[in-house]
Formats: sequence, structure tokens, C-alpha cells
Amino acid sequence: MNHQETPKEELKEVPTHPDRTTLIGRALSPVVYTIREDDIRDYLPVVGEEHPAFLSHEDSRAAGYERRVIPPSFAPFVAVNVLLRSFDWEKDFFFNYRTGTAMFGEQELEYLRPLYVGETLTIRAEIVDVYEKQGKRTFDVIQVSVTATDEAETVAFRGTQSYILFK
Amino acid sequence: MDTRPKMYFEDVDEGMPLPQAQYGPMDRLAYIPVAIILRDTNPLHLDRVYARERGLPDVVQQGPLNESFLYRFLTDWLHRPWDIRKTKLRFAANVFPDDMLTCGGVVTRTYNDNGEPRVDCQIWQENQKGEKIITGVATFTLPERG
Repeated sequence: MNHQETPKEELKEVPTHPDRTTLIGRALSPVVYTIREDDIRDYLPVVGEEHPAFLSHEDSRAAGYERRVIPPSFAPFVAVNVLLRSFDWEKDFFFNYRTGTAMFGEQELEYLRPLYVGETLTIRAEIVDVYEKQGKRTFDVIQVSVTATDEAETVAFRGTQSYILFK
Repeated sequence: MDTRPKMYFEDVDEGMPLPQAQYGPMDRLAYIPVAIILRDTNPLHLDRVYARERGLPDVVQQGPLNESFLYRFLTDWLHRPWDIRKTKLRFAANVFPDDMLTCGGVVTRTYNDNGEPRVDCQIWQENQKGEKIITGVATFTLPERG
């Protein structure tokens, strides 16, 4: 999602100038995500990731990891995939793709440990800030906090992702 | 295979540039598996007609894929890929098929965090026209010499 616009049809219940500050504090739906072997297999050649640790448990152990790790470059895919499934554009952001334009803003991620092929993470997200900014156009910035925990409820990564919604 | 020389914590100082890396040309066929992995069916990434109707020259490469090349620039160079600790990135411009991406950075701080040697740096990614695609900061750890 870099830049999206659609025809001006089918605008339904999204207010023309919604006050999105009322969204601050809203918890989004938790999402359970498993890092699938076939996704990693498809991903590696796209980005040219060649480190042996990404290919097998044995090579990962040889590199000092407890089991097969994913490339760190795949971690933002995890965050983006899950966040896109954690909210409803209209219900949670008062936004309609058919009439609006949205972009990624800033993203901050902190990794507390490697991520592993096959592991299942639960991602919890919350809208922590909303503010208006003026560039060439006026837009709202929606900042969402994200925390990914593993099956032992240990935090694997956390951070924030902001979305820019043009007015 | 990344051929940039590995460095140790004692080798890096504030202001030192990170060895650059270049990736590309970007391949529009890569956008299909990326769309599937991300479950992002936005036609802007796959349908050139749709993109041109919106004033863009071609389909737009997915932002997370741009980010992946910036991550790879950093983690390929580290001794171990998961020596990365944090990133804070701002998406500034779009990438299109056949673009070349150059990634670079500069060390801004070296310090010790609870016994772990850490390096902060500014990092960036730009296209063949010199336009910044992503800018930001990253933190990683480097091993100390023997």
C-alpha cells in the first residue's frame, strides 16, 4: 500500500471530515499469524536472501540460532500483513478507499529476539495517536502501536506504524 | 553473496559511512508473490492501466518490498543477520519496475547497552535519479574483537 485512489462512487457512511481523534485508545482486533514455510520459500528469491541460516534448521543452528530463522527483511512483511488484517478501514479509521488516498507513514520496529519459520505470533494493536498535518495537502496521521507475542506470551517484536490518510 | 568486509565494534566510529549496496533492476513479476504473501490485492501494484489512470507512470512496487532491500543492505553486512535490533523508517517516495535501488548509511553513535556493543546509524535508500525512497535510523550490534 503506497498510494491508493479509486473512483468517486459508493461512498457510504464515512463522514466527509471525520474527527479521527476520537479513535485514540481504540484497541484493534488481535491477529494470529503463523510464519509459513511456503511464504519464506517464495520470499527468499524475490529479495535475493542467500544466508544459509534461512534455508535449514541445521544451517541456522550452525549460525548460532536455536532453529531456522527467517530473514530480518521479512519481519516488516509480518507486521504489515498482520496490521492490514487487524483493522477495518471504514469502521476503525473512518476511511473509504473508493474516495480516499492512503499511504504508509513512519514505521518503528524493535526486535527482542529472532523470528522463526513455523512459529505462531499473536499481534495486538492499538491506535495510540491521531493528529492532523499540513503538507501539499492536509492529512491525518494515525499511529498504531503493535506488539507481537509468541505462544509463551513473550514479546518477539514491538513498535509503531503510522498511516497517512489524505483529506 | 555479499562481499562487503565485515567489521568489528572497535572498527566503527561516529561519522563512518556504511558500505553501500545496490539492488535491481526491480522486477515487476516479483510483485505477484509479494502481493500473495502480504495478502495485499491492491491493483496499484499489479495493474498498469489502473496505475496510469491515477497519474502514475507504472505499477507501484509494494512498500514492504522496498523496505526489504534496505533491511538486506544492513543485515547482509552484519556478522549474523539477527544482530539487527531496531529500525525507524519513513517512506518518502514510490519505486517502479526497472528502478535501481542504492542503499547506504552513516554511523551516528557507538555505545554499550547492558553489556551489548551497539551501533546507531542513519540509513537511506534512493533510486537511480537520487530520489530518496526511504530514510531512517537503525540500531544493530557488532561483535568485539577477541
